[in-house]
Amino acid sequence: MADIHQRPRHWHQWLLILAAFAAVIMLLVLPLLLIFFEAFDQGWAMVQQNLTSPDMIGAIKLTLVVAAITVPVNLAFGILLAWCVTRYEFRGRKLLSTLIDIPFAMSPVVAGLCYLVVYGAQSAVGNWFSGIGIQLMFALPGMVMVTVFVTCPYVARVLIPLMESQGQHEEEAAITLGASGWQAFWYVTLPKIRWALLYGVVLTNARAVGEFGAVSVVSGLIRGETLTLPLLVQMWNHDYNTVGAFTAAALLAAMALVTLLLKTVLEWSTELKNGQPEQDSP
Amino acid sequence: MSIRVEQIHKRFGDFTALSDINLDVQEGQLVGLLGPSGSGKTTLLRIIAGLEKADQGRVLFHGKDVTNLDVRKRRVGFVFQQYALFRHLTVADNVAFGLRMLPRNERPSRRDIRQQVTQLLELVQLDHLAGRYPAQLSGGQKQRVALARALALKPEVLLLDEPFGALDAKVRKELRRWLRRLHERIPVTSLFVTHDQEEAMEVSDQVVVMSQGRVEQMANPLTVYEQPASRFVFDFLGHINALKGLYDGQSWQSGDAHLRLTTEGACPNGELTLYLRPHEADLRREPSDSAHLPVTLGTRSVFGGTVTLELEPQGWAGDVLEVELSRDAWEHLNAQPGDRLFVHPRQLQTVTCNGNLGPRVTPA
Repeated sequence: MADIHQRPRHWHQWLLILAAFAAVIMLLVLPLLLIFFEAFDQGWAMVQQNLTSPDMIGAIKLTLVVAAITVPVNLAFGILLAWCVTRYEFRGRKLLSTLIDIPFAMSPVVAGLCYLVVYGAQSAVGNWFSGIGIQLMFALPGMVMVTVFVTCPYVARVLIPLMESQGQHEEEAAITLGASGWQAFWYVTLPKIRWALLYGVVLTNARAVGEFGAVSVVSGLIRGETLTLPLLVQMWNHDYNTVGAFTAAALLAAMALVTLLLKTVLEWSTELKNGQPEQDSP
Repeated sequence: MSIRVEQIHKRFGDFTALSDINLDVQEGQLVGLLGPSGSGKTTLLRIIAGLEKADQGRVLFHGKDVTNLDVRKRRVGFVFQQYALFRHLTVADNVAFGLRMLPRNERPSRRDIRQQVTQLLELVQLDHLAGRYPAQLSGGQKQRVALARALALKPEVLLLDEPFGALDAKVRKELRRWLRRLHERIPVTSLFVTHDQEEAMEVSDQVVVMSQGRVEQMANPLTVYEQPASRFVFDFLGHINALKGLYDGQSWQSGDAHLRLTTEGACPNGELTLYLRPHEADLRREPSDSAHLPVTLGTRSVFGGTVTLELEPQGWAGDVLEVELSRDAWEHLNAQPGDRLFVHPRQLQTVTCNGNLGPRVTPA
């Protein structure tokens, strides 16, 4: 690809860049920094006390559990979807690829409400489940379900363009060399997409950890039971536990920063692995 | 292993990719499938490999029906157009892939695999690049890795899809000579797809000329060139000049141009088209009794031992003619662009009214 970037030459070009930086700092970086300042406002001891409070530990655990279930589910789901959309030609292929984007297009709160209607105690499905002793809504299963819903496009969306561009000649080559479908997937497809896959996982995880809207609808906000970190931030903020709220927020922000770092590293290494210009390929 | 293809039909939606294909390839032959793009040659190759299923017809290897046999069990080596090397594996691991995929009880030991890979890489003269990744190789090198990989399982049939398609002219030429020599060393029955006439003619024992999903002719290269079975084959094998005019039973005429010749097969209204191959004509400063084709000399291009000339018809309608002269003949002619010259065909191919090839004629 030709490098279309050029060095700014005129003062108004520099002004534009300056404006971009100012906006990013004012809108994005400063608020983030303030979270950490607020959290440490009353000293390290208060932070420590909040970090070790049962509510906080419960929220961290719950957040991690939700993420730990969501990520593998969407990993498998994303690969399946990307595989179907890029490997087979069938009626409804375009439709399927469009439907994947529903969670992107829809407000998470709406998703939460939909799930409440379909799987709540008043619904047939919810009723059936509570009959066998499983409570879906206002409990862990419901929170995982909406998180899966909200984060399901990420892996597929990262994989589809990549797998489309890679084509399937390598898989065909593997099969002519005697590999079974599973071997071709494991030894050829997976190594080709592993960086993109990891990238998708990082995005999914970040979204799963930070999800607020959908989860707040189905969680029921039961203290010590169904509060994830983002919900805890809101609850403590309402309770005037400012330091607590900001400590939880700082924790989330720290996770976000780690994610950002991972994402950058992954993008960089994907570029390195896949973007290597192949000599004389058309 | 001999290959036999019987009455293969294949459609993709409304598009007929192949219709009624019959082929017989004898053991150990190197056969070129030649045709323009869209003629169905790659589809045929993929059906023989088992990567694609025909709607009708059978494929037989050595007399045994393999139509419904899985790709993996056909023992076919396939070389893909863009090589399809595994980008995450080194050259050696690419070549070893087939051996490593074998079921445990058939799989050679690690040492044996390493040894076989080394032998294969020596065969394709790439043993010094065993540790490289595909992205670090040139096109010609990738092609040879793909070939070594396909040969690793000792296939009984080798299928190559446009093996030299993505290479530059010089590497192409080297590589196809090399493939020819390799085939003499390892006489595995091979089919390769190409759209390059020269390539097909130089490399193959047999050429299969295809057009619009049909086989136009299958014969050795010389026969295909000297006795083309159809107008398409004649047309496709190298440049031709088409001369359109009227025939009155004794001579062919178009404006100021005329040729005295005897033939049958002109249309009832007298229309007759003649094909002239660029190297089957002489150029002189004077017409003769039997040939009067006035032209002006346009551009010339000198390449190797031949000189290709573009000639503008003078006083008769027609496209610019292309004639090839030997260098000696060109120097003897001593002509300049703009000179008035006369084309003297040594041989012409008549095209009958229904579009088939008629007899060859010589103006006299």
